[in-house]
Parts: sequence; structure tokens; C-alpha cells
Amino acid sequence: MKKLVNTLVTASVIATAVAASSVITAVKVNANLDKVSYNYDVWENAKMTEVTLYPQTTIKFNDKEANNINQDAKAITAEIGALYNGSKIAFIVKWADGTKNITTGNCIDRYADGFAMQFASDASNPKQLPYIGMGSDGRPVVVHLQKEAFGTYEPNGYGNVAHQVNPNQTDLFGKDLANFNKKVKALATNDYERSFVAEGFRSTTEIKDGSNTSYARIGYVGKGWEGTLSRPLKDAYVDLNAAVIPVALAIWDGGKLGRNGLKYLTGWTAVKLEGKTGSEELLASLTEKSKGDAAKGKEAAMNNGCTGCHQMEAQDAENLMGPGLKNIGGYATADYLRESLVAPSAVVVPGYNRNAHSSFPWYNLEDGKRVSTMPGFDYLEQSDIEDIVAYLQTLKAEVK
Amino acid sequence: MSKRQLAMVMDLNKCIGCQTCTVACKTQWTNRNGREYMYWNNVETYPGTGYPKNWMELGGGFDAAGDLQPGVIPNLEADYGVPWDYNYDALQGGASFEPNVEPTWGPNWDEDEGAGAFPQDNYFFYLPRICNHCTNPGCLSACPRDAIFKREQDGVVLVDLDRCQGYRYCIAGCPYKKIYFNPKISKSEKCILCFPRVEQGLPPACAQQCVGRIRFVGFLDDEESQVYKLVHKYKVALGLRSDYGTQPNVYYVPPTESPVKFDADGKIIPDSGRLPIEELEKLFGPEVHGAIKTLKDEMKKRKETGESELMDILIAYQHSDMFRLDNNYYQQVARENGQNPLAPVDTRYAAGKYTKAGHEMNFFHGGHGHTAGGHH
Repeated sequence: MKKLVNTLVTASVIATAVAASSVITAVKVNANLDKVSYNYDVWENAKMTEVTLYPQTTIKFNDKEANNINQDAKAITAEIGALYNGSKIAFIVKWADGTKNITTGNCIDRYADGFAMQFASDASNPKQLPYIGMGSDGRPVVVHLQKEAFGTYEPNGYGNVAHQVNPNQTDLFGKDLANFNKKVKALATNDYERSFVAEGFRSTTEIKDGSNTSYARIGYVGKGWEGTLSRPLKDAYVDLNAAVIPVALAIWDGGKLGRNGLKYLTGWTAVKLEGKTGSEELLASLTEKSKGDAAKGKEAAMNNGCTGCHQMEAQDAENLMGPGLKNIGGYATADYLRESLVAPSAVVVPGYNRNAHSSFPWYNLEDGKRVSTMPGFDYLEQSDIEDIVAYLQTLKAEVK
Repeated sequence: MSKRQLAMVMDLNKCIGCQTCTVACKTQWTNRNGREYMYWNNVETYPGTGYPKNWMELGGGFDAAGDLQPGVIPNLEADYGVPWDYNYDALQGGASFEPNVEPTWGPNWDEDEGAGAFPQDNYFFYLPRICNHCTNPGCLSACPRDAIFKREQDGVVLVDLDRCQGYRYCIAGCPYKKIYFNPKISKSEKCILCFPRVEQGLPPACAQQCVGRIRFVGFLDDEESQVYKLVHKYKVALGLRSDYGTQPNVYYVPPTESPVKFDADGKIIPDSGRLPIEELEKLFGPEVHGAIKTLKDEMKKRKETGESELMDILIAYQHSDMFRLDNNYYQQVARENGQNPLAPVDTRYAAGKYTKAGHEMNFFHGGHGHTAGGHH
């Protein structure tokens, strides 16, 4: 009985402590945020907000087993809080995950749990934010990734050639061999923190020149993960000195063979930096719910042939011809949907490998630029466009 | 498609399954740093489960329409096998002889088993396999990071370890399962066709060490090369499972000879063959009939007239008859890329389509004007 009471109390505490708003508040603090981890006291100041992450279903990958496991993937939720001071901004992310999955150095079929946060290099035009899936041509993003990982030994480039041989092939034994193995182990990196710049999935490039100073941690606490990221408000890649910044969160579940595009993600989510003013237009765009008529929009989508190339609803047949849209309402803003309808080539969903599906050409390369196979629907009535956008915003999986 | 394509031809009539190639590759590349379980080169018994287990049934490759097919990533314990060692050192102390991990599976678990009933009609042959350095690689198409590329100068398919993030879609995409995941560095690795050796005038380790002299290496656009003659001129060398649609660049001369069958009384059945042609058709496609016919015709011609260029090539009197590595071409490529081309360490096989006079001399033959790759 005591246990039950405890559970009830905990549940109600969470319910009151987490705001159900779609805007994350970054609380201004005086504390040092240079290298904060998830178990630091400073997070007591944070206001937690619940966000929903939807399974990435725009692109389908070729791992048969993973596809089977994730066929009917539901949305998940996470809590997110933010703090900032004069120079840094820090985030904490908490999500439930019943299985702790980390990669190990001796197993080839394991994938790590982890999270990533994405920032837009340029958010000055809310109507043309970078594509949510790691940016798009001409609209770069910076992504910070943190995964729990076993020691990864990357010998290349460190000049430690002598330790790149099999211990059985050395003439060492006994204590010398133990020391050799110890040295090899010490050369491994236990921290799988990576930062990338990207203009689309396939362009993702790790920042390795030392220009990135972010700091991310992750730990399994109770029945879930807690991860943190602290980064400068302004660096070579983004300037976050604004009243509102768009942030996107991705979470990987290694237990479901999650990696790369097999992930859960939020749409661009507004983070309001407490005490700063402005960015009203961006805030409005990030939180906009189209005023169109979704029922009419569904009809219009049918009449205009959308279903010929796109999988729209979960029960529709999968379609390789165009990006899958069954979760598009979960991660696209109304402005993005409008743009994609009217000017499909503005953002051609990256990640799609034309070489892999040569009989379904989503796009053609013209002068090195991707030109979408989809015609622009700029001739539609404004009301039709609005209805379709409203309909698309309803397309998303329910929360598990 | 790359500008030129380096290719290998393996003559299955001559493979004795000695695994020298396997060991040459292993000691050169895969005995360390998380690659221990990998065999970039393996020799499997056909019919058999192969390596990894049942690789032909694991998906990947392309369908007739040209679309990449989903595939399965094999399991380390069940499908590849964890390499084990024995406690030799402990034996002196009186310990019993034990493996350090329980062997569950490994390459050649079913070596020499083959098919059919012994002794009447049992049969098998050896199938050495490396990466096919495909013209349309399944691994490359599957990679969502553009981490796999095909070298422009010779079509060798490589993983850019800087871009690779260890997603492993390439393994699902390769129908031959010849790209592997290295858990120690969390990246994919594969056969590199020994490109650092090839650029230095040395054939790939597996080919150089082949005691049966089954492996020819050269450029497919070099009409003087052995591979060109076997693949294009005589059409006796065929790609393995070309139906996967990846356009493999390792070619096989199908086995033409097999022992006769015995009847119930243990007597020879005249003109019988143990190797069902359907098996060869499955591996090498319908072209295998033409290839076998050409081989038999040329064998006959050789017996009758003493002349046959094809038989001369396949016999490979000199090991140097098997390789044309076009070292001059690689030096030229290096110069074009602003690199400092190193002199070849071995000039025996340096001749090739783009190799001009002056590169013919070599110190192994005392400068007698020996043309590498030519006939003697």
C-alpha cells in the first residue's frame, strides 16, 4: 500500500512539474554552464516541458529486421529543460527507456541509446527554416550527438601504430602483455560525443577541427536516460542570442535497432530565452496550427493526387515514390508544409539515395541542384492550400 | 562508374582450397583491431553454408527494376563465429586443452562436406570470395552518409572511415556480405583490393600468395590484360550471382571438370558428371553453358593442335603472366593529384595499357628486356 501511495505521489509531482506547453523556457541563471552534467544541482532551476517525438518515417532504410520492429512505431515523449547565462545555453533531456542499450567493443549487432539536439544556422526567416532532418541545401544546421558507448578505439591519426597490432602477434607476455593491453584500452575513447554540420542527412560532416566547444553528457537514471548539452550561445556555427530559438530533439532507442534515421524526433520547437524580447514572428510560426479545414484538406489531397506518390496515413500502402508523410504533422511546421506544397524544390528531402531506388526518381539533378519530381501546387486556391496544410498537421502517430 | 576498373578472375578448376589466400589476407589486414572475426578473403565449400552462414539468403542487392532490396545483418556468434584460441601456455601447468571461447560457428565449419551421397555421387568445389568491387555496389547505395565510394582511377570500393558512423546499412545492402562492422572502432570495413600494394606494383596479397595460381588481376579496359581476355574476349569468366544486380568485378572461370558417378555396385557410370549444371547456373547465370563449351572446345583444340591462347593463359606458366598492374598509370594518377609517386617496389607486373617503354626492365630478370605480363 505504501508503495502504491508513493507511486501516486510521484505521478502527481511529475504532472504538476512538467508544463504541457509546446514552448520550452530557458531560465536565465548566474551559474557556470560550461560543463554541466545531468546530476548537477543547477538543474533545479530549470522548468521542464514535455515534448513529443515522432518516429522518422519520411525515409525508409534497408535493414529488414529494424523495419519489422519499427513498423508500427508510436510517438514517445521526453521532458526538456533549458538554462542560459551570458555566454552559454544548456539543455537537459529526460526520457523513459526500459532497456539500457550501449554498444560494446565485441558485439556487432548492438546499437546505442542516445540523443541529439539540432540548431538552425539561420533562423531569421521563419518561413524557410532548415529541413527538420538534418537541414537541407543552403540551410545548414549544427547537430550535437551524445550516445552511451563502450570504449571505441580509433587508432587512425594518433601515431600510435605500435598499439595497432594483435596482442598475440607481439613478443610480449605476462606483465608486459598486460601493460600493452592497458595502454590499448587507455587509447580508447569512452565518450561518444560528436558534433556535426549538415545540409541534409547524407552531407552530415563531423566537426573535427576543434572549433566546436559543446559539452554533452548522458546517464541511465532509474528507468530512463538523462542527457545534457551545454554550448556557447554564439559560435562559428550558430548565434542563439535571440528571444526565441528553434531547437529540435532526436532520440535513438538502441533496443529497436535505432541509429541514423531510425529515430524519434520533434519538429522545430521554440525555446524562449526568459527576459529577452522579440522574435514574435518565429514564435508564431513554430507554434502555428493551421486554421484550414482538415476534412476538406484530406479530400483536396486525394483530388490533387498526393496519395499517388506519398504514403499519407499509417494504413495507406507504403510508397517509395515520395517521402512518407504519416508522421509529417509531428515534425513539420505549417510554414514548411506551405512551402513544400508550393515550391517542392525549395527543400528536397535529403537522405534519399537516388542510386538505391533508381526507378523512383524523387528528384533530378539539374546543374548540381536537386529538382523535385513533384510539381509545384502554387495554382491551388489559398483556401485549398490551407486545408491541405491543416490535414497534414493531423498526420502523426499517437503517443505510446 | 569509375574511369577504369581493376578486376580479378579466379579459375575455379585450379582452386585446391588450401586457404593460403585467406591467411595471406588475414595476416596482412584482419588479424587485429576488431577485425579478428572478419575474412575479407575466404574460401568456402560449395555447396555449403558459406561465410557468413547462408549469405545468399540474407538479402541486399537490387531487384530487376534497379531498386535496393532490404537485407539482414548477420549475427556475430551465429553467422560469422567468434574467433577462438587455445590455452597453449596453460598446458605446461597441466591444464586441459581448452578453447578460450566456446566455438559456435566459423568460416569453413562445413568444409569439404559438399552435397550428394558418398561414395556414389558426392561433390563439392571451392569458392574463394573477396569483395566484388561492384560497378553498382549495394553497400554504397545503402549508405545514408555517402561514406562509401568507388575510386575513380580503378573502381576499388572503399569506406571513408572519417564519414562512416557505423550504421551498418551497408552490410544489409551487400548481397555478398563482404563488408563487415568493426565493433572496436564502430565503423564498417572491407576488402580494399590491396590498393596500397597494387599501386606499388604488387598484386593483392591473396593473388600473390595463391599456390594454385588461380587469380588473374588487371584492368578490364586493357585489351592485353589476362582479365580482359578471359572476361570479354573468350567470355569464360563470369560474375558470381550477377542476378543481384550489383555488376561484380570479380569473375570466375566455372569448374568444368568433375569426377564420374558410381552406380549401386560401385561401378563407374561412363560419361557421368557429379556436378549438376543447375548449381553452376545458380551461381554464374545461364552464360555458364557458353563458358563451359568454350573451355572444352579450347581444351580439345589444344590437345589436337597444341595451340590455344586461352589454355596458355589459364595454365599461367609464369606467375607474372597473371598480373598487369599498370604501375605507370598509378604513378601518373599520383602526379595528377599532386602526390609524390613512389617507385614500384616490384616491377615484374608493372606493364599495362598506359605503361610506356622504359618500364619494362626490372632487376629480377637482370635487365634482359623482359616484358612484364607478356609471354615467354
